Amino acid sequence: MLRLPKFEVAAPQTVDEALALLAEYGADAMLMAGGTDLVPNMKHGLFEPKLVVSVSAIDELQGVAIEDDGTLVIGAATTLQAVATNDEVRRRAPAFAQAAGLVAGPQLRRMGTVGGNVMLDTRCQWYNQTHFWRKSLGFCLKKDGSLCHVVEGGSKCVAAASNDTAPTLMSLGAKLVFARRNSEGQVVRKTLAVDDLYKSDGAFNKKVAGDELLIAVRIPAGAPQHRGAYGKLRDRGSIDFPLLGVAVRIDLDDAGAVADADLVAVALQARPIRLKKAAEALVGNTPGKPGWDEAVDAAAEAAYGQCHPMPNIPGDHDYRREMVPVYVRRTIRAAVAGEGPVHHV
Amino acid sequence: MASRDQHGIHPPFADADGKRRFGVIGKPLRKVDGIAKATGQAVYADDIQLPGMLHAKTLRSPHAHARIVRIDTSRAEALPGVHAVITGRSMPIPYGVIPWTPDENALAVDRVRFIGDEVAAVAAVDEDTANAALELIDVEYELLAVYLDPVEALENCTDAIHPNPKRPERGNLSKRVELDFGDVADGFERADVIVEDDYTFHGTTHTAIEPHCAVATYSPDKLLTLWSATQITHYVHRALARVLELPAHSIRVIQPCLGGAFGGKSDPFSLEFCVAKLAMITGRPVKMLWTREEVFYAHRGRHPMRLHYKTGATKDGKVTAVDAKILIDGGAYSSFGLVTTYYSGQLLTGPYDFPAYHYDSTRVFTNKPPCGPKRGHGSVQPRFAFEVQLDEVAEALAMDPIELRRANWQGEHTKTVNGQRITSNGFMQCLAEVERASRWKERRGKLPFGRGLGVAGSMYISGTNYPIYPNDMPQAGIQLKVDRSGLVMAFTGGNDIGQGSNTVVRTIVCEELGLEPDMVRVVAADTDLCPVDLGAYSSRVTFMVGNATIDAARKLRHQIAGAVAAEWEIDPGRIFMGSGQVFDLEDRAKCISSMEAFQIAEARCDTLGSTGAYNTPTLGGDYRGGTIGASPAYSFTAHAVEVQVDVETGRITVDNCWIAHDCGRALNPMLVAGQMEGSAYMGLAEAVLEHHDVNRFGLHAGPSLLDYRIPTSVDTPELHALIVESLDPEGPYGAKEAGEGPLHPSIPAISNAVFDAVGIRLRHLPFTPGKVLAALRERRAAETAVGSAKESV
Amino acid sequence: MRVLNLTVNGDATEVAAPAHWTLLEVLRYRMGLTGSKQGCDKGDCGACTVLIDGEPQLSCLTVAALAEGHEITTIEGLLPAHLRAGGEGPDPVQEAFDRCGALQCGFCQPGMILSARALLSENPAPTRDEIKAALSGNLCRCTGYTQIYQAVELALAEATGAEPASPSWAPGENPWAKTPEGNARPAVGAAGLTEGTGVAPSGGDSRTNGKAH
Ligand SMILES: Cc1cc2nc3c(=O)[nH]c(=O)nc-3n(C[C@H](O)[C@H](O)[C@H](O)COP(=O)(O)OP(=O)(O)OC[C@H]3O[C@@H](n4cnc5c(N)ncnc54)[C@H](O)[C@@H]3O)c2cc1C
Ligand code: SF4
Ligand code: FES
Ligand code: FES
Repeated sequence: MLRLPKFEVAAPQTVDEALALLAEYGADAMLMAGGTDLVPNMKHGLFEPKLVVSVSAIDELQGVAIEDDGTLVIGAATTLQAVATNDEVRRRAPAFAQAAGLVAGPQLRRMGTVGGNVMLDTRCQWYNQTHFWRKSLGFCLKKDGSLCHVVEGGSKCVAAASNDTAPTLMSLGAKLVFARRNSEGQVVRKTLAVDDLYKSDGAFNKKVAGDELLIAVRIPAGAPQHRGAYGKLRDRGSIDFPLLGVAVRIDLDDAGAVADADLVAVALQARPIRLKKAAEALVGNTPGKPGWDEAVDAAAEAAYGQCHPMPNIPGDHDYRREMVPVYVRRTIRAAVAGEGPVHHV
Repeated sequence: MASRDQHGIHPPFADADGKRRFGVIGKPLRKVDGIAKATGQAVYADDIQLPGMLHAKTLRSPHAHARIVRIDTSRAEALPGVHAVITGRSMPIPYGVIPWTPDENALAVDRVRFIGDEVAAVAAVDEDTANAALELIDVEYELLAVYLDPVEALENCTDAIHPNPKRPERGNLSKRVELDFGDVADGFERADVIVEDDYTFHGTTHTAIEPHCAVATYSPDKLLTLWSATQITHYVHRALARVLELPAHSIRVIQPCLGGAFGGKSDPFSLEFCVAKLAMITGRPVKMLWTREEVFYAHRGRHPMRLHYKTGATKDGKVTAVDAKILIDGGAYSSFGLVTTYYSGQLLTGPYDFPAYHYDSTRVFTNKPPCGPKRGHGSVQPRFAFEVQLDEVAEALAMDPIELRRANWQGEHTKTVNGQRITSNGFMQCLAEVERASRWKERRGKLPFGRGLGVAGSMYISGTNYPIYPNDMPQAGIQLKVDRSGLVMAFTGGNDIGQGSNTVVRTIVCEELGLEPDMVRVVAADTDLCPVDLGAYSSRVTFMVGNATIDAARKLRHQIAGAVAAEWEIDPGRIFMGSGQVFDLEDRAKCISSMEAFQIAEARCDTLGSTGAYNTPTLGGDYRGGTIGASPAYSFTAHAVEVQVDVETGRITVDNCWIAHDCGRALNPMLVAGQMEGSAYMGLAEAVLEHHDVNRFGLHAGPSLLDYRIPTSVDTPELHALIVESLDPEGPYGAKEAGEGPLHPSIPAISNAVFDAVGIRLRHLPFTPGKVLAALRERRAAETAVGSAKESV
Repeated sequence: MRVLNLTVNGDATEVAAPAHWTLLEVLRYRMGLTGSKQGCDKGDCGACTVLIDGEPQLSCLTVAALAEGHEITTIEGLLPAHLRAGGEGPDPVQEAFDRCGALQCGFCQPGMILSARALLSENPAPTRDEIKAALSGNLCRCTGYTQIYQAVELALAEATGAEPASPSWAPGENPWAKTPEGNARPAVGAAGLTEGTGVAPSGGDSRTNGKAH
């Protein structure tokens, strides 16, 4: 059996305890929620923490709540299954619920968490492999090596953000609440827009450090006429990571025209990409009215122009590019129709 | 030995009314091991834990082709917890499952031939220690030229992968077979239409869900016992004796419950030799469980093939000649490659009659995981090409593809162009079944754009008379032991790999001795306890072990019926055995239980038991290789599939697959259906999802069950198994194979259905959405060209 | 080495294992519960599925120490639990898998059966699409899944008293149909005798398709 490296494990009950452990062990500690990303990665020798700090026993990180202003607050350790089947989440943030419901397969959704998904490591066909495999080709610069096998001569890792919920959260303007211990030992909390979490470095695509604990995801109340959907391209109808993910948010005005829109794609490069021009093409147009189909096509075209998949994750990257406009069109239509997700099964 | 004995297709007993009826044959009996598997009690290789057991791990080559200059194991040996380290020098005798091509070593001796090739093995107190020790083995390699492409390997060979000092001109050639039957030139001469094209079959692999695992012990009295997840105990037994230089009688090989095989557990594997050797060295039981990644390196999966076919036909659709040229990418070792090369040509000559046939197949070594036998060994690839080509012939002639196939049916009790004897043949009924069930006539060619139906047919062997190593002994043997308790034990060398062969044995014993299923138990695949059987490959088990079982059971029946008749002083013809009872047909008050009958017989005849055996009749064409692919009976299959093609995404969705299969007689229809559905599923997956490939470094592109994508439940179409029974004169009660044949048509049927749906011909596997889109674009471009040409007229 | 307090199949147990062992390793190699299988090493196949607090999860990705405080059910637990609850023999889902021939090599099936068991506990009347979705994290390489669906549907039909659908391979009689009296089809005996002769009793073999009367 593929073995885990040796480590110790702690299961603190409170945020403070968890942060204390992170502070004490520093770089030797890693947080774990469902473990569905971290454990395979550890089996592949990608991480070798001395201490694994599980967040599963921390009550504060569990559950879905709705604040008075309509903000959805989702504890970081809430499972994907729980959010995908939660009626309030489905109603208020359909794209997010749909994305959560399409992550991996049934068992993994019952283990994997929202926080773990947001914090997911980037993926690459040259990286998500065993130690023997990676060693056979001299490793790569994301881990243990010095070159990139995707971009010849590249000096920056372009492994792909592959978390399905990330683009939906970006499209929804979600915010993340983190806690950490500062140098004086005090627990401080900060709120960060999801947009500001990711950076375009595949080696580590987040702007927070390993000692920062994600407490909750906050999704602000949507517009009264909020529409949203998620489209996911993958080979199989279950288990597989996205080959492309497209999140759509559309806010309609009273007349039914698009007042505001946001489109974000994932599984392309190190961070999810906001498809700004595509969204702009929709604004002012009215679904079902003349000009709408052209607007949708224009959005698809703009997205195609902006997205350049690379051979980072497995699969034919030219094909992935070809699918950008198709999934953009279909996901927009699904959102407007109150349907989705866009997925082949 | 009652070899070549024909037992007939009928039930063994006539009832009082003179009618013969089956008791258990043809009924959906449960499997012997079903509930043990359902409750987690079945014991698989990795479930075996022995006191003091050590754990072994393998060091593998990180290079695709290299000479081993030096191996230093001293640092590994010094690691606390390490009990032994072995290398190729510890077991230098080469072996190969085919005795003519012994080109493998348990561990590489002086050369590694693909990334993942085995170099050394360590036994230690636990897996972590063994893994740590691997890191401490120092190997110095001298790199050699790497061949990843078969054409390149053949044409520009500088460092032959298997140097042959006597015949250096062979280069990287593994095997070439060229055979010619009938007058091919004349056939093409007579043809009204000739279709010629190239086809590609990619590589695919088995991915049985159970990874390979072996456990060995070596007792102080020099008995070696090996438990291994193998599907051919007998060949492992032979190979162990050879490589370890032990007398075969001091080796016992046991196959525990097996978690799937599909051909992937047919070869003797490195881990089997390693645990045996390590157990001998350390005096401790040793286990090795391969990781999923290692299973991908061990491979032995379906060979990639580049196929060129040319088919001629007359106006009424009759095939006049077939010409094939096939290039086979063998990977690093021979494995069953000699047979593969023959099969690629030999098994095409049914269910259609062609008067002339020529094929030229070449297998080449490359520095990739070795290919071998996968379900439908050697014949799935040519069948794909040919059945697509037949569809193209039908198109050229504007014929219905089913009608074209009917027009070429070879018939029953006939001979193929390459000299194979065909007995029963239910192909026409298979066609009729899929035509009916798919509502072909109403729907084919008439569904809306994007939806389509396709058909394909095939033939496969029920074992062959080629016994791998030449000998005159039976191919299948079985032994029955009768107990005073009423229990009959059957001892069979046959390997139940999940297909249900032990259930078949039990069912036949019940039928012949009139017992209820729980009165028979089966011990299988233990070389100490069971007579030799050649194992689970080439779909031989039901046919051969089944016949051997009838043979043994019938001998016992005569003995028991005779004894009871003597006791009752009646004619043995009046004795009836059924439902666990034995009675006088003419005086039913005379009725005793089977147990009592056994006791009477034991008192009169001494300890009861019998043996049975099966050997094939003399078969095959009278030419070199003519026995390869010569089977005592062939199964036939037709599939119709219904697909949807999303023209925007290029994705093919298979909605329905109707599988009509002539299995001769369904000894247990539920098990037959399971084989049919499982086969069709596997073929469909090869068509649209799976691809076993190496990347530009020669490294397996994604050796995991995440990256090698086998279908989940939601990716699998509705499968409709339609059983056809042609009652073969030589099969057990008329049965033939069902485990491999029904895979073949799935792949071409999808291609043909896609043609019906959107008018594109997919000739190169796998049918990825990208390829579909490219073909659609090409078609549109061609149409526009035609359109504008018309306009300009 | 740590002493873990695990509750497995209803029993609170203490077991010593290194902290970096997965639940699958502890179940198989420390507790001897080898019914849970390992097919892929890392979350890709579902063979190691166990129920944790009733939910199907992957024991190969579960750090054993973190399973403390949860109810773990393995395949070995179903039959005894069914007996404890007053049932006879194996859990109806296990029984249906056996009756339908769904167990070929059987290696995927402990995980598959537990996923099916969880589905039926959660959704008393799933459609075939819902069954497919619920089992889509359990790879089976043998069956093509058809007989697995049939088994789940048979278990459902048995529970609700409905008539199970007949499989495509049995165009004549439905092998799983119930007789008018509500029994399963008579067990298989030597047909020549059971049909009307009245001489030999029909075999009441519970191991054939159809329950013993
Ligand atoms: C076979 C397979 C298929 C998969 N398919 C998909 C897929 O289709 N789409 C997809 O998006 N994902 C997929 N995944 C990945 C994974 O299952 C999910 O992304 C899941 O949501 C991860 O959550 P987790 O709780 O298990 O994360 P963990 O593995 O526990 O953690 C992941 C990362 O997040 C960090 N982390 C976790 N919680 C916190 C926290 N509260 N604060 C700070 N950091 C934290 C960890 O340190 C770690 O680096 C798949 C995984 C597998 C094994
Ligand atoms: S993109 Fe892939 S190959 Fe390149 S550095 Fe990143 S992980 Fe390595
Ligand atoms: S062994 Fe756990 S999912 Fe495969
Ligand atoms: S029964 Fe063999 S893998 Fe499912």
